[in-house]
Amino acid sequence: MKASSLTIGRPVLKHFACQSCARLLRIHRRYATTASETPEIFDVVCVGGGPAGLSLLTALRASRATSSLKIALIESQDLFQTRTWKLPPDQYSNRVSSLTPSSIAFLEDIGAWRHIQSSRVQPYHEMQVWDGVSGSRISFDWPGTGSEPPQFPQQKTIAYMTENLNLTSALLARLEELGGLTIHDNTRVENINLGQETETLNLSSWPVVELADGRRLAARLLVGADGANSPVRAFAGIESRGWDYERHGLVATVQLEGEGWGGADEKVAYQRFLPTGPVALLPLPGNFSTLVWSTLPSHASLLKSLSTADFIAMVNAAFRLSPVDLAYMHTQSQGQAEELSWREQHTKFDVQRIPQRIVGAQEGTVASFPLRMRHADTYIGERIALVGDAAHTVHPLAGQGLNQGQGDIQSLAKTIEYAITHGQDIGAQLSLEPYASDRYATNNLLMGVVDKLHKLYGVQSGPVVALRSWGLQAVDAMGGLKGFLMRQAAGGG
Amino acid sequence: MPPLVRRLILRSPSPLHRLSKPALFTSHRSHSTQLLSPQQQPPSSSSVSAAEVSHFNALASTWWDPHGPSRLLHLMNPLRHDFIASCLSQDASPPSTPDKHLRYLDVGCGGGIFAESAARLPATSSVTAIDPSPSVYCVALEHAKTDPSIRKTLTYHNTSIEDFPAPTTAADKYDILTLFEVIEHVKHPAPFLESCFPFVKPGGWIVLSTIARTWTSWLTTKVVAEDLVGVVPRGTHEWSQYINEEELREWFAKQREWGDARAVGVVYMPGIGWREVNGGERWGNYFFGVRKKEGL
Repeated sequence: MKASSLTIGRPVLKHFACQSCARLLRIHRRYATTASETPEIFDVVCVGGGPAGLSLLTALRASRATSSLKIALIESQDLFQTRTWKLPPDQYSNRVSSLTPSSIAFLEDIGAWRHIQSSRVQPYHEMQVWDGVSGSRISFDWPGTGSEPPQFPQQKTIAYMTENLNLTSALLARLEELGGLTIHDNTRVENINLGQETETLNLSSWPVVELADGRRLAARLLVGADGANSPVRAFAGIESRGWDYERHGLVATVQLEGEGWGGADEKVAYQRFLPTGPVALLPLPGNFSTLVWSTLPSHASLLKSLSTADFIAMVNAAFRLSPVDLAYMHTQSQGQAEELSWREQHTKFDVQRIPQRIVGAQEGTVASFPLRMRHADTYIGERIALVGDAAHTVHPLAGQGLNQGQGDIQSLAKTIEYAITHGQDIGAQLSLEPYASDRYATNNLLMGVVDKLHKLYGVQSGPVVALRSWGLQAVDAMGGLKGFLMRQAAGGG
Repeated sequence: MPPLVRRLILRSPSPLHRLSKPALFTSHRSHSTQLLSPQQQPPSSSSVSAAEVSHFNALASTWWDPHGPSRLLHLMNPLRHDFIASCLSQDASPPSTPDKHLRYLDVGCGGGIFAESAARLPATSSVTAIDPSPSVYCVALEHAKTDPSIRKTLTYHNTSIEDFPAPTTAADKYDILTLFEVIEHVKHPAPFLESCFPFVKPGGWIVLSTIARTWTSWLTTKVVAEDLVGVVPRGTHEWSQYINEEELREWFAKQREWGDARAVGVVYMPGIGWREVNGGERWGNYFFGVRKKEGL
């Protein structure tokens, strides 16, 4: 899988329509002298080898209708490292995503899921969500048959916690199995320009991607799977709008005192809404969990500066103490461990309904990144499609970012397949329209809800707190609405 | 049938019947294809009218604009392939091999919307596409240059079917001759259709799409599409030239060489797109396919 590879000679330019022998000879001669300047022609060039880009290419290679497409992948990281990624069973990466059953079903369809290191994947079956200010609580599980999602009648799993590297490594293994793909990794996109027009070939609507090593790839369809600062999106002149939350997402791999209150088979995800943002603890195999704490940038830097013992105390405090106590502990530069043991004695909480006590944090996994909300004005242009974070960046509180990307991929792969079987040019904007109209409204709705939730729980007092507490209790009491919310979380809504 | 529809249909005699009366096919049907070979075709009865050619010349520059006047045709194009696939699947011995074996002749290809798409399909061995309008022909040539994958498969000719030499050997004939949104623009559809016959292989198909001549099509294509909404440029359609599905069916039933006629109606729904609608062939846009008999 390493580095650039495989197949393909330079496109041979043949005569077309109004031809004469003389012109034909001239054309061949001209191309012979300028061969090095001619870009190599691909049907799909995907910039970005993260979960979204790799899923798209796997889907295209796995489907018979699209398997004859000539495809190239450009990735700045070393994909060999990703392909051979391995960690001991007592260590977990801090970039973990919650994959919904519908994302998993898609990954199974394209043959990637069987390459996953399944011992490192943790399904969970219940969510405990509560308001840090009022204490109102909602618990999500699948009680009996009533609220099971209809498309997964037998399953009781809400989502599967999966390390992103486990997923990308599995996708690369599947791509290796499928073959027939040109990979340029460990290299970056130097620039993107439109192609040239010659007497017989007009690439003036084709993006030509130039790599750092001077290689040039002309793309019938250029896919931007290149993240929030997408160079492909910039090339296409598509604006991405939104705002920064003035929050950082702090992540860490932590160790709990046990496997959870329900044991290994009944894992629970916890999320508590604090005025500074939600803090979530999502189960990994064994005693491990992954922490996602959205908080003020200053709090994030404090947390990162603490000793392991004090950091652990802060995380335990975040699930136990009142927002006032917690705010005080953020003013201390150290000594949070003692502070917690003292304050805990004076705080009432139901031990069974909060996560087990955290006893360790894996070295080197405490990290933070700024939280943003961004949505591209459109997902398509002439010979352009944006997927995943290049199209939308969402607050992580609903754990939907990667699943949204998988939804994009499923839709784009289907759109390309339809175009191929109906003779359409897969790069033409008209061919891509179904993808954009299918995904834009869906993503916009979800992003709106997640954004509103963030703002709703940012309020510390007054009628909003009373209303939202009433809201959580009401939702908890109404099985039907809860079922709907859970189906959304499970990706089936 | 509502009285208004009946009255409208009665008042507008079929272009097929009206125009074919003085012509050649009624009494000498079995020889008509010979009689109408391009060389013998009198200029006055050519399928192509000067007004139609100049109208489409004017449209040429926007032919491939996805938001231009041809947008509805672009959107309809995938359904043409679905219809052709449904015709081919009727075949008693369908060529199950996915390798390149189908030869297309696209008559009145315009800017090449269908011709290009047919050339991209894996089962296609060649597409020959003809159009009498010089500007439209240039648009088609220019646009084909933007896709290196079709250069070997697709050939354009700036000509009408009457002036295009018919193949002399069976192997050079075509599996599928297409007339998409063409016959409603043709003055004399019966001799025009007959001039297409010698191009089709025995067992091959003529597949066309057009609009029924009903009050609904008058309302949607002339009043709404051209005048009110403007999605179709004014003057694109001459409603009296529209041909109804049953007129085509009856006419082809009289042609000794042709059979297996089939049709499906399609309707454009704003916000949804084109959809096949059962029975739609009686009141709006429809696809029509008819097959040349083998062993005659």
